[in-house]
Amino acid sequence: MSKISDSVIVPKENNKHDSARTHVSGRSEFVDDRPPLPHELCVGVVWSPHAKARILSIDTAAALAIPGVESVQTHRDLHHHHWGTIFPEQPFLAIDSVQHVGEVVAVVGARNQEALRAGLKAVTVSYEVLEPILSIDEAIRQKSFIGSPRSIECGDVDRALKDAPHVLEGKLVIRGAEHFYLENQSCIAYPKEDGQMEVHSSSQHPTETQHLVAEALGLSQKDVVCVTKRLGGGFGGKETQAAPFAVYAAMIAQATGKSARLVLSKDDDMIITGKRNPFQIHYRVGFDLNGLILGLEAQHYGDGGAYADLSTAIMERAMLHSDNAYFLPSARISGQVCRTNFHSHTAFRGFGGPKGVAMIERIMEDIALTLGKDALDVRKSNCYAGPDRNVTHYGQTVENNMLPRLFSRLEESCAYRQRREEIKSWNLDLQKNPRGMAVTAVKFGIAFTTRFLNQGNAMVNIHRDGTIQVSTGAVEMGQGVNSRVAKLVADEFGIPLNDVRVMTTSTEKNANTSPTAASSGTDINGAAAVHACRKIKHRLASLTLQLAKIPPENWANKTAGLGTMPEISVSEGTDSESCIFSDGKVYPKADQTAAIPFATLISEAYFNRISVSEYGFYKIADLGFNKLTGKGRAFLYFSQGVACSEVELDRWTGEAKVLRTDILMDLGRPVNYHLDVGQVSGAFIQGMGWVTTEALHYDAKGKLLSHSPSTYKIPSVQDIPRTYHIDLLPNDENHANVKGTKAAGEPPLMLCFSVWNAIRDALNSDRSRRANAKPILPDELPIPATAEAILRVMKPESFRGWES
Amino acid sequence: MALNKNRDAAVLYINHERHEVRGEEAFMMLADYLRYKRGLVGTKIVCAEGDCGACSVLKASYLNGRSEGFEVINACIISVAQLDACQIVTVEGLSEGGQLSAVQESVAACHASQCGYCTPGFVVAITACLESGKKDLNEQKIKNCLTGNLCRCTGYTSLIEAALKAQPSVQLSASLASRYLPDDRQKDLKAIAGIPLEISFGDKTFCAPVLLKDALQLRSKMPLTLMASGSDLGVMINKGKANPKTQLSLHLLPDLYKIDQDQNRLTFGARVTLTELRKICEKTVPEFAKFLNIFASPQIKNIGTLVGNVANASPIGDTVPFLMVADTLVHVASSRGTRNIPLTEFYLAYRKMSLEADEIIASVSFAIPKQEDRLRIFKVSQRKDLDISTVNSAFLFRMKDDHPSVVSEARIAYGGIGPVIRRFPAVETFLVGKALEPKVIDQALGMIQGDILPLSDVRGTSAYRRNLVDGMFRRFCEELGQKATHQGAEQHV
Repeated sequence: MSKISDSVIVPKENNKHDSARTHVSGRSEFVDDRPPLPHELCVGVVWSPHAKARILSIDTAAALAIPGVESVQTHRDLHHHHWGTIFPEQPFLAIDSVQHVGEVVAVVGARNQEALRAGLKAVTVSYEVLEPILSIDEAIRQKSFIGSPRSIECGDVDRALKDAPHVLEGKLVIRGAEHFYLENQSCIAYPKEDGQMEVHSSSQHPTETQHLVAEALGLSQKDVVCVTKRLGGGFGGKETQAAPFAVYAAMIAQATGKSARLVLSKDDDMIITGKRNPFQIHYRVGFDLNGLILGLEAQHYGDGGAYADLSTAIMERAMLHSDNAYFLPSARISGQVCRTNFHSHTAFRGFGGPKGVAMIERIMEDIALTLGKDALDVRKSNCYAGPDRNVTHYGQTVENNMLPRLFSRLEESCAYRQRREEIKSWNLDLQKNPRGMAVTAVKFGIAFTTRFLNQGNAMVNIHRDGTIQVSTGAVEMGQGVNSRVAKLVADEFGIPLNDVRVMTTSTEKNANTSPTAASSGTDINGAAAVHACRKIKHRLASLTLQLAKIPPENWANKTAGLGTMPEISVSEGTDSESCIFSDGKVYPKADQTAAIPFATLISEAYFNRISVSEYGFYKIADLGFNKLTGKGRAFLYFSQGVACSEVELDRWTGEAKVLRTDILMDLGRPVNYHLDVGQVSGAFIQGMGWVTTEALHYDAKGKLLSHSPSTYKIPSVQDIPRTYHIDLLPNDENHANVKGTKAAGEPPLMLCFSVWNAIRDALNSDRSRRANAKPILPDELPIPATAEAILRVMKPESFRGWES
Repeated sequence: MALNKNRDAAVLYINHERHEVRGEEAFMMLADYLRYKRGLVGTKIVCAEGDCGACSVLKASYLNGRSEGFEVINACIISVAQLDACQIVTVEGLSEGGQLSAVQESVAACHASQCGYCTPGFVVAITACLESGKKDLNEQKIKNCLTGNLCRCTGYTSLIEAALKAQPSVQLSASLASRYLPDDRQKDLKAIAGIPLEISFGDKTFCAPVLLKDALQLRSKMPLTLMASGSDLGVMINKGKANPKTQLSLHLLPDLYKIDQDQNRLTFGARVTLTELRKICEKTVPEFAKFLNIFASPQIKNIGTLVGNVANASPIGDTVPFLMVADTLVHVASSRGTRNIPLTEFYLAYRKMSLEADEIIASVSFAIPKQEDRLRIFKVSQRKDLDISTVNSAFLFRMKDDHPSVVSEARIAYGGIGPVIRRFPAVETFLVGKALEPKVIDQALGMIQGDILPLSDVRGTSAYRRNLVDGMFRRFCEELGQKATHQGAEQHV
């Protein structure tokens, strides 16, 4: 459904997702699709119904007496108690207290579902209920924090705010969101000989899962393998939080010697696992008469939930993205994670990025409102530009900056000015539903902000028929990382894509890998695979050059058996560029007539005892962000984009309808155009759900009430913009990354603020047309802008009347 | 005579295999049976409540005597026993001899699968849509077919594109009916439906008589859980909130599939699905048919029934406000006889109906609104489609022939405003003889608001519900002024 014009990328090839055919026929294997072994046990968990309580006792005897229940595991059965990627503070199984509803207290393994259900009911935990902390405000009041406060500063912000002709203050409330991966958390643990354990886990981080299972079970890491074929969606929700479930299954497997399958129900999954961190942001922004920002002071408070998980790193990314596409001459961006009694909040597509972006994009609208300017003009003038306005508040220069071009192209292609006028006249009619429109941008930093995570490895094995198996630490979860890695490898050797298969991810093949997260899957693992290919190519080039001088009848496949000819060995000095790998053949640069079919060359390599397997390692160079000073090169490059959304609000009910969205992204030179567009399309809709209909409701005691799709509403097919255009901007200049590509997974999600700001725009128009009232105060609309939240802004008096 | 001998096994075809399922397995949800007993793992389970469509499979039967062809259903909330006498086709059954079906090819070619978990469900739902024989499917019609399937990866556009592009090839390929409903199988399925079924396992029993009098007799003899379609009960069982010991299924009772229509009334038997209801109403009550587009998913509408929606007695049942304003009668039967209860008197309190322990609802009938009636039906929910309402309502007004702005009869029903869905007789009387001027509207709303006590819950606060009550009535009045009734532009057509 993409529009095609000469200023956008037009795809030349149509390579499908490598699993497309098995996906559509139902033959792709997910964890729970593995056939059960004889005597396999089903595993379930007992979780706390209280947000905060002391555990007085855990009684498992009654559960164990139920026929069919084979094992009940508690913290007493663990060899190691605590885990946590940044702060190892979270108990695998609650010890003497519970800190959130859904905290797991016991694990039951049973022969069938009926026995399991009875067993879970029969585990008796007695609690002394304590007073929980259930809001950011309360956490601040009690100084209940995770990690220390952090700050990123540049320029003299105090002075700038003092001198600025205009200063706006605001508070933005951002609520959480559920990942809603379709495949619930699941794991099967297989006990192996001599105490070994093999877990098949739906995990974005097999290495951490392997390590945590080993620790919990008292095994060394050599005795645990984590295998991950594919995920039915992850979105960050399986980055850290898959591991405990692998531990639970492995505990039952170790205790019983039987394979153990744990598959959460959607309800349990939503109650137990953490969400996108809710945030509260307070800010003061100073700007001049033209709307140019002079200084920004912002304080982010994030709700980390009960345990640290990744919340401090998420906060860091929120702070690093508080500029988004806009230059801040002076800034003080502070952040503090709060400890509350909700599930531990965790990574979710965009990490903390969306929080910073949400704030600054709202600021742009409010500056425009204050000055009576068009918000797009305010954005364009604040946008990063060179060379005086291209350094971020953390001191990194914005290179390969496509933002100005993205803004102007989109302005033109979506007919922004004309539609702005049309909306104005539409809104004059009070009997029409108000409409609004907004353009927002994204500039998303690519790299883990924690330097050591920016490493990856890959194994490339070429088989005798010239086909290739590649293994990396990347986890395939729909984003198409396997298809991209395969394409990179096929292109290196100049062979058909069908001759390359990316194999199941397993810690047995690729160790010490980073999570598949931060949009970095292809960047890191693809580059590692290319490194491995280059090493093999070097040897194959040397072989090719030497074969060119020998008559084919003397080649090793004819002579090696009898050993009649001398063996060829690789000469170290050969440049892999000395040969061309193309169209399934290899030939010396100078002599195309000496082309050797790839498979023949591999066979020659084998008979000459030249290795055609390699292990590649890659680390992103030149990264150096100091978390304490808040300065340095945090990212390798930036993926960028802009979107324009138009909405209509039902003036009776507050329901919002997205009429049209136009997206223009800079994703460098895509490895696979269609996969990238798929990422853009899906990420935007996921973000749109978060800022509109996806509302998490907790009761007064901290229990999640909306824990299934009947109460938690992700966008359906009817909710997508009625007109939806996605285009990619041509950009061959991103030399920083493998083959000039840019990461696509997370950045487009943040374009959802075009919808949220369009809703605010419509509310503003509605308010001014009805009462000539002053525009909407900045704090009135939270994220998400549900129909109720919208109607509350439209009819504040009426709500006040009923609620007073 | 062999016919009188009860069967102890549900008989159904799954793809090309005939299954006789008895004992424990008959009580399993179809999705569990497929995945864990038959290795047909393409059917996924995500929510186990019929809300995501990952478990979609196709179903055909001859039980109603007018086969509708293959329809998409949720396999996660319906037991194997309930699918007795049906032909099921799973995603594995769509391809043949390793050859992908046209829909499968198209979904792959359009990059419409990413993680792959929802994909089989979508493939099945698209197949149902394209096999339905509907002509000229446009984007909106495709969307209406896919309301019951959630995808978290693609943003849906590629799936819509895949469905549109597959349309011509599906029309050229052999229909599913030609592959899976050969004459001998049809004959077998029809024969099965004539034999009563009784399955037992442990303390559980599933009975399906073939004569209404037998069903009523069973009902009078013992407490049992009655199932029209069981779509709601399935959810309760999955969530551990229900564990019915004795289930009485009505699926083999031909009488209950009846649809009767005369000039003034429509009558729907207890086994008539919401899909069939919608089809009938397209011509007779278009406003109700349009409303049914945003109510529930195709999967639910293909098993759920109008009677089931009435018998659910939910304070927010979506067909009920309309039925309340349309002179609906609940036709109840027991071995003692029959009686007809006006729907306005049927709900006594929260989830409590005027129904004796030995009675069943055999059918529901309502009056067809007249040409000159002004009818509007509203629902507001967090998400427009496939979502339980926060507030719903129906308004049926008649205006004076000589003074078209003056009300001659008013009927107002709201749901989501208290323990039961109900009418507002005092307000209706008040409105008669009045023109709908702002003051009158305010007064009427004042009376309504004074008479309700909406709750705050996950679907909205009490104040929001009151605002919706207000907004729905005002919108109706405004549209009356514009004579725009019967044309509701908001709902998907």
